[in-house]
Amino acid sequence: MNQVNSPKTKVAIIDLDSGNLLSIQTAVEQAGFEMQTVQKPEQLDDDVNVLLMPGQGRFAFVADQIDALGWRKVLLDWVGAGRKLIGICVGMQVLFESSEEDPGAEGLSLLSGSIKRLRHPKAPMVGWAKLNSYKLSMQDQYAYFVNSYAVPDSEYCTAKVVYGDLFCAAVQKNNLYGFQFHPEKSGSFGRELIAYVCEQ
Amino acid sequence: MFANNNMLDKNKTYASDLIPRIIPCLDVALGRVVKGVNFKGLVDMGDPVELAKKYEEQGADEIVFLDIKASVDNQQSALDMVYQVATHLSIPFAVGGGIKTINDVDKFFNAGADKVTLNTAAVQNPALISQISTKYGSQSIVVAVDVNKNDEGELAIYTHGGSQLADVNYQAWIDEVVDRGAGEILLTAMHKDGTGSGFDCDLLQSFGANFPVQVIASGGAKGPQDFVDAIVAGADAVLAAGLFHRGEYTVGDIKEYLLNNNVKVRK
Repeated sequence: MNQVNSPKTKVAIIDLDSGNLLSIQTAVEQAGFEMQTVQKPEQLDDDVNVLLMPGQGRFAFVADQIDALGWRKVLLDWVGAGRKLIGICVGMQVLFESSEEDPGAEGLSLLSGSIKRLRHPKAPMVGWAKLNSYKLSMQDQYAYFVNSYAVPDSEYCTAKVVYGDLFCAAVQKNNLYGFQFHPEKSGSFGRELIAYVCEQ
Repeated sequence: MFANNNMLDKNKTYASDLIPRIIPCLDVALGRVVKGVNFKGLVDMGDPVELAKKYEEQGADEIVFLDIKASVDNQQSALDMVYQVATHLSIPFAVGGGIKTINDVDKFFNAGADKVTLNTAAVQNPALISQISTKYGSQSIVVAVDVNKNDEGELAIYTHGGSQLADVNYQAWIDEVVDRGAGEILLTAMHKDGTGSGFDCDLLQSFGANFPVQVIASGGAKGPQDFVDAIVAGADAVLAAGLFHRGEYTVGDIKEYLLNNNVKVRK
């Protein structure tokens, strides 16, 4: 921990009023990055180069907050310009088109696919699972999950896990990253992953 | 009773990559970890953050903090501790003790807790389980069920740290806890607690693999084989205190033993 990273990296955490941000803020700070927490796009500092979007709770709530706080176009333009966006948990799910959880709600459609309910009697999935990943940053690491819904396999999937069905635990398309698990709660592996992905 | 996913076949085996969790439990009073559950003669065991970090480094999957003096204590010390833990741990943690209202719960979540644990308050006011589940999600609430077996072999529920018999039927209470949206049941078999004769594996087995919430086994762990037995009997997680605090085993020792007995754990 406490790696000294390039002073050029500044991470903005998007506060969608969807869960406590303390752990993710701590993780970003301890990784040595400049950090700010923003509710609205106009609050973004000019020198921010990484957007991090955590999300807990329902798909529709997070999707609605993205619209209510004015993020939709900003996020689409940001990713369109090749800049880095990292979605965590429901923050990853809204990168896709829609969700079985809230059929009317619109995701960002930055990735194609729809979120499905996990078919397992114990819901939500809570706990640690080993990632099946070809990425050295995640290969055979244990990650902490809290979710009832997930993305089925995607062409941009970088890590897979089985809970009733096989689902996508992580995705990456160029500078767009998604993690269904909680890296900020996944011990030293998760903290190193946050540092690595923000810095890359 | 299957409140969730009732379209699933309860006789089927569902694939899962989830692994059993090992959870050290810390008793806290006035912001310090203490030994002994009586109000008199509490022995100071140290700083909760330092001890929790030690267990995290040993490989703990989660930590539970029970504030045993919360009911007579100024709640601020508990909230300060939760904030300190949240900014120093990188694994999930639950807090319990003295929670009575949704307002108490809000304070603990705002301070950074991942989950709350209820026992007496859940029995006295079961609607609180539903309130928390609706507001924060099932994953945020663990209901501690203290169960004792009498001479006739009947199971009964206890509250107030195991001192008072509750006026609820065992099975009806388990069903209600699930229906109201608890994400996990922390099951303490009082007739096994402190006996050093292991967990109550028959009781754990009675839940079955497709029980709709996770079951954490608590009470009775004397050594590593007890962890193996509890997990084989179906526990999703095992919570223990004494054998870790006394330094008899590290979390790493327990996990090593589990791995050697073909139980997958996170190392």
